[in-house]
Amino acid sequence: MTVFVAMKLHINFKSGMPVYLQIVDQVKSLAASGALRPGEALPSIRPLAEALRINRNTVAKAYGELESNGVIETITGKGCFLKSNQSPLRKDVRRRLLAETIDQLIVQSHHLQLSRAELLDLVEERLNALDTKRKEFA
Amino acid sequence: MSSMPNAIDIENLTYAYGKSEAVHGLNLTVRPGRCYGLLGRNGAGKTTTMKCLLNLLRPQSGSVRVFGMAPAKHEVAVKSRLAYVPDQIAFYPWMTVQETLDYLASFRKKWNRRAEVELIERFRLDPAKRVSALSKGQRTQVALIAAVCPDTELLILDEPTSGLDPIVRREFIETVIGAYQEGDPGNRTIFVSTHLITEFEGLIDEFTLMDGGKNVLTLEADQARERYRKIRARFAGNPPGLDLSGAIQVRRDGRELELIANGGSNELMLRLQQYAPEALSVEALTLEEIFVAALQSSEKA
Repeated sequence: MTVFVAMKLHINFKSGMPVYLQIVDQVKSLAASGALRPGEALPSIRPLAEALRINRNTVAKAYGELESNGVIETITGKGCFLKSNQSPLRKDVRRRLLAETIDQLIVQSHHLQLSRAELLDLVEERLNALDTKRKEFA
Repeated sequence: MSSMPNAIDIENLTYAYGKSEAVHGLNLTVRPGRCYGLLGRNGAGKTTTMKCLLNLLRPQSGSVRVFGMAPAKHEVAVKSRLAYVPDQIAFYPWMTVQETLDYLASFRKKWNRRAEVELIERFRLDPAKRVSALSKGQRTQVALIAAVCPDTELLILDEPTSGLDPIVRREFIETVIGAYQEGDPGNRTIFVSTHLITEFEGLIDEFTLMDGGKNVLTLEADQARERYRKIRARFAGNPPGLDLSGAIQVRRDGRELELIANGGSNELMLRLQQYAPEALSVEALTLEEIFVAALQSSEKA
């Protein structure tokens, strides 16, 4: 499983996004799609760093971020594991956090000249794509 | 954090060989725990800078400090806390790989046998082979193993991969850096010089770009990729006469426009969008491209 996770992650320096955030985002989306399930182990830091050809500090920073976001937990001597998807945050806080991200999406959509209906269609389409993936891993 | 001295402080360092200045007024700081790249072309002054840190050369003016100490005054204290792999590696040719490592270990207080065994195995080196019979790449591997094993706080590598087979060198530099950092995660500092920047793209946290003995640019790698962007736009007809101030480089090719921005790429994108381009894309520059762009703009200045 951990080999599989390492294979699923890839770093794109040309995206301009900080490398540790790329790992954070990708682990989150593996979890959302069901490719990585609660209780499953993440690769340990050094092999993952070597597989991705990056600095171990960067992987450690990403895991730290995932841990403080409540996505993974570290069990001393055993490694890092995906936690069950239970956010400690209240519903209204979660809504507000997501609203910020949606606002960015709306701005981007405006500049790319997508209408309201087209954007909503696209959101629907992407949600369906994620569902299809989840079924694959179910 | 504040009580911990910087691994390296270089202030206004100047060094000349006779009349030709190799390093001119260089400033840089390496915080503990970082993997810091000293990047530049051949002859930029990288090796000279490193030799000043090791007291192999005495600065003519300015100062260098390692762990807060002057290497000229505290040579033993400084050298016992670092390991150095020079650009030219010399071993006694009659010794075997194992004898060479044992010999080098005899100068050190600590020697990490586990890392030694692990790395010999990973590089598939034969401990009984004479070093004179090794390839250049294998000799570099032995030198790197010898630098990792003393478990020092600082590792100084001068062009560790130059002149080696491109496929091999990437892989083993990652292995070595990984093994070294693993000894005390988060606290081990690496100061590495190279002109082969692509190989170190993901390994370097922060870098100084040197040219003509001077510091051209110091940035965190993530920050650099966030700031330096390449924007491509294609228009239906000739590109309109746009206001492209903010771009450090502009290339026009028929209906296409390619810009390099150092910060402010979002504003440039917005301005371009107003002219309804057929295609518009943006990507970060790689460290190698940043190196080229920064050198070109410093030469123009």
